[in-house]
Formats: sequence, structure tokens, C-alpha cells
Amino acid sequence: MRRIGVLAAMVVLVGLLVWAGVYNLRQRRAAMQRAQIVLVKDGTNPPAASGSASTDASEFGGESLKGKIAPGFTLVDLSGKKVSLADFKGHPVVINFWATYCGPCRLEMPWFQEFSGKYQPQGLIVLGVDQDEDMPRDQVAAGAKKTGVTYPILMPDKDIAKSYALGDYLPETFYVDKNGTVVEESIGTPSKDEVEANIRKAVGV
Amino acid sequence: MPIVARAQGISLGDAPRAGVAKGHVVFLSEESVVEAGKPEVVELQFRVDEGFHINSHTPADALLIATSFKVDPGAGVTVLGEEYPKGAAFRLGQGADAELLDVYQGVFRVRLRVVAAKGAQTLAGTLRYQACDNAACFPPRSLPVQAAITGK
Repeated sequence: MRRIGVLAAMVVLVGLLVWAGVYNLRQRRAAMQRAQIVLVKDGTNPPAASGSASTDASEFGGESLKGKIAPGFTLVDLSGKKVSLADFKGHPVVINFWATYCGPCRLEMPWFQEFSGKYQPQGLIVLGVDQDEDMPRDQVAAGAKKTGVTYPILMPDKDIAKSYALGDYLPETFYVDKNGTVVEESIGTPSKDEVEANIRKAVGV
Repeated sequence: MPIVARAQGISLGDAPRAGVAKGHVVFLSEESVVEAGKPEVVELQFRVDEGFHINSHTPADALLIATSFKVDPGAGVTVLGEEYPKGAAFRLGQGADAELLDVYQGVFRVRLRVVAAKGAQTLAGTLRYQACDNAACFPPRSLPVQAAITGK
């Protein structure tokens, strides 16, 4: 009788050990899976880290222009003069898409102004391309004036957003080297240091 | 490799070029019951997605787009006036570059003074706003609103 009791106790003990092992394994697997899951909204792609800008458009599932020749364009500036990207052949160019209602755009535009002066000896050109919908030129000019920038501000046409694969999101900036290749792109406003680092890539210093 | 799971209502910022427009603001209010034929206040409740903000009705800068509610003309409900909540201060950027904005975040309510006819009525209108997160902005949007009001 005592043997049967000991045997039963051993069976129960082994059973408990097996159950504990399986339970522990399942818990660890579930925890590992949770740690690797990135939750995104339905119908969207994985976003950049909160509050920071992406440095690569491909992170968003869109077409990245990095490594490709910057699409050419001819737009008019705030005085009505035609400006083409081809006018700046041989120069590093920053193409910054912005809008008057966009606070983060207005935050970074003075940085572009500052760096356009700092890297002028290297031939840096900064172009701002407005993305306000149907806004008169004088109102765009007023918005640009408020940021203190003096570099060319260009009015959009119907093609440029498509050719640069712009998203429903501003600012977007393309950094083009003197050979016309997009060496960096950013979506959202990066830090000032990141902006300068991107410019240095374009300038080649 | 991380597993990417799709989930409704998780706000970690939005993704450009995703092909799906999302407004970042939703209308929450349920039916309001008011005394028919008399001026009454109804609240239209909205929620801005976590991590985003929209300008208040009185933004800090004339270039910024104010949140406003436009009532569609319709029988059954007459709107006598609108009252918007005060915005909250939101610091965009850091140090000397920072800009102070006046915004709505989370849940906010627009109060309307209305006179409703007896029975089930619908107040239709559009909330116009413009949303941003800390690093980027979306174009101005219009959210159609259909508020159920019952006059008793």
C-alpha cells in the first residue's frame, strides 16, 4: 500500500514537472513573439520612431529615390521666373518640400538657410518647393518670409509630387550630390545635426 | 526579423505613401436629447489620435489652419451659435528654435447652441482641421459629421 502511495506521488511529481516545463516554454515563446511584434495601424506600413524623422523613404513602403538620379523639373519661383533643376548641374542641391501650415517645416527652414550660407563655398543650392494646395503666390511668399529664408521658393506643378513620390506628409527633403544623385532623403523634420550630416553627404565633405 | 502585425487603433505615427488616407480625428458623440423648440446646448465630441495634435480654433499664428465646424443647412435643427474649447500649449522643437502652438490633443468638444424640432433630427456639418505629429504634418482635412439630435 505504501509502495503504491510512493508510486502515485512520483507519477504526480513527474506530471507536474512535465506540465511546468511545457508551460514555461510556451510563456517564453509568447514573450519572444510579443517583443518582436511591431504594431501598425491597419492599412499602413511600419512608421518611423515616434517624434523623429525617417531617413529612408523605403521604410514607409514607398519608392525611395536614394541612389537614383533626382527627377528633373522646371517650376516658377515667387517672382514668376522659371527655375529648373538642370540650372544647377554640377552643384549639390537640397530640395525641401514644405507648406505654410506645416510647423515642423517652418522649424527646419531656417536651418537650411543657415547651411546654404555655410556650404556656399562648396556650391550648395537649397530649393524650397511649396506644397500648399491652390495657395496664391503672395500668400506662399508671406509664409516663406516668416521663416526668414532667402533661398528660392518654387511653386508646385501637377507633376512634381508624383515624380518625387511624395507622400501625404510634410516636410520631405531630398539631398542631391553634384552628379545629380539623391544621396539622402528625409521624411519629417530630423534634428539640425542630422540635416547638416545629410547636407555634408550631398556636398561630399 | 520582426513580425509586423496590423492592428486597428494603434497610433505610432502614420506612414506616408501608404495609399490609405487616415484623418487622425474621429467623431465620438452619440445621440443628444433636447427639449424641442427651445435653445439647448449639444456637444460634439471628437478625439485626436494619440501622438498627434490639431490647431485649436484660435491658433498661435495666422498661417496655421484653425479647427472649425461648419454646419450644413438643413431642416429640423437650427444652430444659434458655436463655442470652441481653449487649446493647450504645445512646444514644437527645442531651445531657441522652439515654437509654441495652441492645439487640441486627445478628446475635445465643440458646443453648439441649437433649437431642434420635435422628433429625430440630424445635424450635419464638417469639421475642418489640420493634423501634425512632432515631426511632420498632414494636409488640411474635412471630417463629415452627422449628429443625431432628438427633440422631445
